[in-house]
Amino acid sequence: MHIDLKKEIRESSPGKAGMAILLLVIVLAILAPVIGRYDPIQQSTTTLLPPSQCHWLGTNHVGQDIWSQLLYGARTSLFVGFSVGILGLLFSILFGISSALIGGLYDRVMMRIVDALIAIPMVIVVILVAAYIKPSLFILIFLLSVLSWQGGARVIRAQALSLKERGHVNASRTFGASQFYIAWHHIIPDLAPILLVEFIYGVRRAVFMEAGLAFLGIGDPMVVSWGTMMHDALRFSYLDVWRWWLVPAGVALSLTIIGLAFISHAAESALDPRLRDEAVA
Amino acid sequence: MLEIRNLRVSYGHDTILDGIDLELSSGETLAIIGESGTGKTTLGMSIMRLTEGKIRGNINFDGKDLLTLSEEEMRRIRWNRMAMVFQNVNNVLNPVHSVLEQVAEPMIEHGLKSKSEAHERASELLERFGLSQDRFSAYPHQLSGGEQQRVLLAMALANDPELLILDEPLSSLDVATKSELVNLLRMSNGRRARLVVTHDLDTASKLADRLAVLYGGRIVEIGNAQDVLQYPRHPYTRALIRAYPNMTMVKDLQGIKGRMTRPVNGCPFHPRCTQVIDICRSKLPQLAWSHGREIACHRGGIITLLSVENVSKSFGRINAVDSVTLRIKAGETLALVGQSGSGKTTLAKTIIGLYLPSGGTVYFDGVKVVTHGKDFYRKVQMIFQNPGESLSHRLSVLESVMEPLEIQGVGTKEERITKAIKTVGEVELPQTEDFLQKYPHQLSGGEMQRVAIARALVLDPALLIADEPTAFLDASVEAKILKLLLNLQEERGLSMLYITHNIAVARKVSDRIAVMLDGRIIEDAPSSEIVVAPKQTYTRRLLASAPSLHWFEADNAGQDSI
Repeated sequence: MHIDLKKEIRESSPGKAGMAILLLVIVLAILAPVIGRYDPIQQSTTTLLPPSQCHWLGTNHVGQDIWSQLLYGARTSLFVGFSVGILGLLFSILFGISSALIGGLYDRVMMRIVDALIAIPMVIVVILVAAYIKPSLFILIFLLSVLSWQGGARVIRAQALSLKERGHVNASRTFGASQFYIAWHHIIPDLAPILLVEFIYGVRRAVFMEAGLAFLGIGDPMVVSWGTMMHDALRFSYLDVWRWWLVPAGVALSLTIIGLAFISHAAESALDPRLRDEAVA
Repeated sequence: MLEIRNLRVSYGHDTILDGIDLELSSGETLAIIGESGTGKTTLGMSIMRLTEGKIRGNINFDGKDLLTLSEEEMRRIRWNRMAMVFQNVNNVLNPVHSVLEQVAEPMIEHGLKSKSEAHERASELLERFGLSQDRFSAYPHQLSGGEQQRVLLAMALANDPELLILDEPLSSLDVATKSELVNLLRMSNGRRARLVVTHDLDTASKLADRLAVLYGGRIVEIGNAQDVLQYPRHPYTRALIRAYPNMTMVKDLQGIKGRMTRPVNGCPFHPRCTQVIDICRSKLPQLAWSHGREIACHRGGIITLLSVENVSKSFGRINAVDSVTLRIKAGETLALVGQSGSGKTTLAKTIIGLYLPSGGTVYFDGVKVVTHGKDFYRKVQMIFQNPGESLSHRLSVLESVMEPLEIQGVGTKEERITKAIKTVGEVELPQTEDFLQKYPHQLSGGEMQRVAIARALVLDPALLIADEPTAFLDASVEAKILKLLLNLQEERGLSMLYITHNIAVARKVSDRIAVMLDGRIIEDAPSSEIVVAPKQTYTRRLLASAPSLHWFEADNAGQDSI
């Protein structure tokens, strides 16, 4: 399978759009201290101001600048998203590949655990657990990672099972290679496209989950988050503030998720020959 | 009758023969074989005391030590009780006398017979050796090489000697004359003891009862002639046989690596031997009895490298390999032949450790293989059927060939690169930077398989398992790969388990063929035997269906069984 995934994504229109959106969000998040002008935590007595020269998107109920909250919120979303993406992927790789390579009883036990985790509705579990332990951002990241590797693990295991019977993997074994060597030098490189797809999928889900939990008011209230913004804004829905408070946060969140979805769509179509353009033609 | 003890012959500082012990009883024929320069002729000459070298030790002829006799006493024995036929015909016959006179001369000279009696006996002998009457009065230069040889044989037998030494008696003759003279010699033996010095294995096998193999001035193997030729035990003996063109073997000819060098510390053959261990370099092996023959080798002759005992492999209820027993000697190729689905590849993968056996044991170099660890894979390597599959598409040629070295942690990075590049050269691939950086999809099938072979050889294994290595290649590339494998065997003494469904390929590359059917070995014998006289119906069927060009209607034993 010779697929240059980066090239494929760059060349498809949804891929291009997704990359552009994600890039924009990342740039804004990085430049937050420069273009935000206000500390998003800093409260003031000037509450619920409409947009003006000083406050582009006005202020909220405790006098924080909504524009800088929006920018710093991107940071939170992306940080949680990418952390969970990476951590979840690591779990998926670890359990998926070890199951495939070790096999036997270990494999069977691991796969039953995966089945069980897939059967449990993750959103409910996260809400319940989060509501109970009131997690900080890092604990939230860990929690989301621990509960989001199972699908990836199953896909990776399936792929690794077919890869490990490949000629070059067998050849490597006959040079005395350890399982670790085989996983690191032969299986993971061949899995790279799938890992990328799994990663983006994980990021998207994590961004959504973080915002969702914050929206429900379960997250750390001290963390600036699009979810928290929407949560707070909703309480003032009887005022006009939703136009510059609720809508920008919602649009930012939606755009980020759509951007990620576009990228995963492009990557998936590149991987699955049936979804590729030339296969249709 | 003839007993040689600790014979040592030297010219100046060069020791030509060393520590030779031989016995020869009357009526017996002993052949001395070996390459030129091993001291065969010197041995014959020393017995006759015709060598200019310094002779030490004992040569007891009929109770007398020839080395203590005076030249006068020796002259009485020479040509009378012992005679020799020389290698170089031209120098021996006197050009000014007719051949009859020359044959009669020794009898007259030793005063055994009157002139007329001697001439009568001489014509009788010449006739016996097939020289026509009208040639008796001819002069040597008027005779052909074959006729001169007949004269020399008659001359040597003139006085009915008790010991006849034949030095390359028939080597320069055409095959027809040769086989005629061999038959004559076989008939004319009686009580006479004969020592045949030759590099011609055919003559040796037809004339000799016993065979001594000489290398570097020492006897390395001695035993029953047929036995030694059929089952050589010393690596040198086997190498000699492999290099000898004959109608019995079907495998391609192979040379012996290197050249003979003297003097050598330790075993004289060790620089060219392919199963050398430390002691071979330092200590001289002595002739010792083992299994009905004497052999001078620290390892007791050619070792059994791989021994598979009752190995089975089943997948669920299917017995893919059913209690298979196989042995592969060092430097030997065993071809495993059978149709697809007969369990060949499963057996190979079980031996190499990609499958765990359901039963049975594998021994490597006499040691039971329990876990297939890194040590095992340094010694045993495999080439797979499909080179496009077995090479990783994301590794360049150099990276692929270096992979085994990286896994085994051999040397530094530079050493690994050097070693990999050297091995790439050994499999006759270009060593250019450009080629080394190519990826498999940029290579042809033949090149890919060569890279795979280089990768398998880079650890210097002793055993190579080749699983249909040419299955994906066209005939001309296949031929080149097969030649390459044979050359590598010659150079490295590689043992091979060569798996193929094509018995025509098997007979060209293998010493032995094992035929596999439904997970069992049904026949295991030297290749020539399998090809010429197969015992099993299935083997005959395989032979009948093997590729053939049908130039003539072969009277094939296999065809009537279909």
